[in-house]
Amino acid sequence: MNTVDYLASREDLVSPGISACQGCMAELSLRVLLKCLGRKTVLVVPPGCMAGAGVGGWNKSMGVKVPCAMPQLGNSASMLAGIKAAYDLVDPDVHCVAYAGDGGTADIGLQALSAAAERKDNIIYVCNDNEAYMNTGFQKSGTTPHGASTSTTPVGSLGRGKLNFKKDVPMMLAMQNAAYVATLSPSYMADFVAKVQRAAQIKDGLVYLHILNPCPTGWGCQGSRSIALGRAAVRSRYFLLYEYRDYRFEISAPTRAVREPLDVGEFIRGQKRFAHLAEADIDEIRRVVQQRWDKLSRLAAE
Amino acid sequence: MNDNEYRVVWGKSGLYTLETSAWRTFRPQIDYSKCVGCGTCLLYCPLCCIGKADGRIVIDLSYCKGCGICREECPKQAIDWIKEAR
Ligand SMILES: Cc1ncc(C[n+]2csc(CCOP(=O)(O)OP(=O)(O)O)c2C)c(N)n1
Ligand code: SF4
Ligand code: SF4
Ligand SMILES: [Mg+2]
Repeated sequence: MNTVDYLASREDLVSPGISACQGCMAELSLRVLLKCLGRKTVLVVPPGCMAGAGVGGWNKSMGVKVPCAMPQLGNSASMLAGIKAAYDLVDPDVHCVAYAGDGGTADIGLQALSAAAERKDNIIYVCNDNEAYMNTGFQKSGTTPHGASTSTTPVGSLGRGKLNFKKDVPMMLAMQNAAYVATLSPSYMADFVAKVQRAAQIKDGLVYLHILNPCPTGWGCQGSRSIALGRAAVRSRYFLLYEYRDYRFEISAPTRAVREPLDVGEFIRGQKRFAHLAEADIDEIRRVVQQRWDKLSRLAAE
Repeated sequence: MNDNEYRVVWGKSGLYTLETSAWRTFRPQIDYSKCVGCGTCLLYCPLCCIGKADGRIVIDLSYCKGCGICREECPKQAIDWIKEAR
């Protein structure tokens, strides 16, 4: 079945009205994720945009049609590991899934996540990477890219945006031999769906899915442009689509199809968080993008 | 209901829903003389409020936020953008 008919036939398990911004890709990715996984799913959603938008529910109502709990920002993976251990006694086929922000993953929750990978907990940990702590007002996170202006890396007489480079969490988890690691973009839906379906089949350890979700409000662009931005991120190799399984890296079709990459500047222009960057700053980003591509190509060739 | 009771809801009643259609300043409208039914808009609508009925692509406007992604991504420019009268 093609992706359109498949997604049209699947049940949307998220409330139809949540308060994510217009054009928010975290909302789209969550809906598609749950469409693929189905009702036999238990969710944890730590504090962040998605919990705040109502996914975790308000008062006594629910924001999703599956059981959902809100862990603390730093302990999604360990709470989920406990939930999984309990479900294993009842029905090991229940998908235990975290949908956590990049702040809750790359910074605050990294220790819990890494420990779950070490224990080979069979949970599906999804990082919704919008490249900052968006829900609390766009503070810099470990996955915020170099040069981006955020409320804690402001641009002014001294500041020039974030000084350091984006933390590479999927690569970290691959190096720690998670059972399955994949990077996903909602702009490439067939690839996205295939990876979630594959993740659902993995039974021998931690599954880590890293989704780059453009955030129009935080990145400073029109909501209507977020799919196009996600596409530019892949075509410029700013965001690399790949899978890691059984000690092997495989570059995914949309990234493999990029023969002549788009200039990273094409991805950067049109986002307010990068508006201050000079050509030399963009060159720095180009350099890192090239290094990451070279590294992945070498790993995938082995 | 007791404040300590934990409730898991599996249906529309008890589901938290915000009337996000009130956010719209414009609404999408498919021009069926141009639509080829490819479903690109259906893939990318962040609300998943575009579906298929009798082989046709249809937009359910009940919660549509008017983000314009469907219109931007449509390869046939088949989605008209209508100003909401408020
Ligand atoms: C330990 C702790 N520190 C700070 C907060 C406040 N807080 C709530 S949501 C949030 C932002 C989370 O950012 P991220 O995980 O990237 O998710 P996003 O909002 O971007 O979706 C923060 C800092 C918290 N809840 N717990
Ligand atoms: S701030 Fe960004 S991630 Fe958060 S709801 Fe808005 S668009 Fe989505
Ligand atoms: S305007 Fe946005 S929310 Fe409304 S149907 Fe189009 S893509 Fe969906
Ligand atoms: Mg974030």
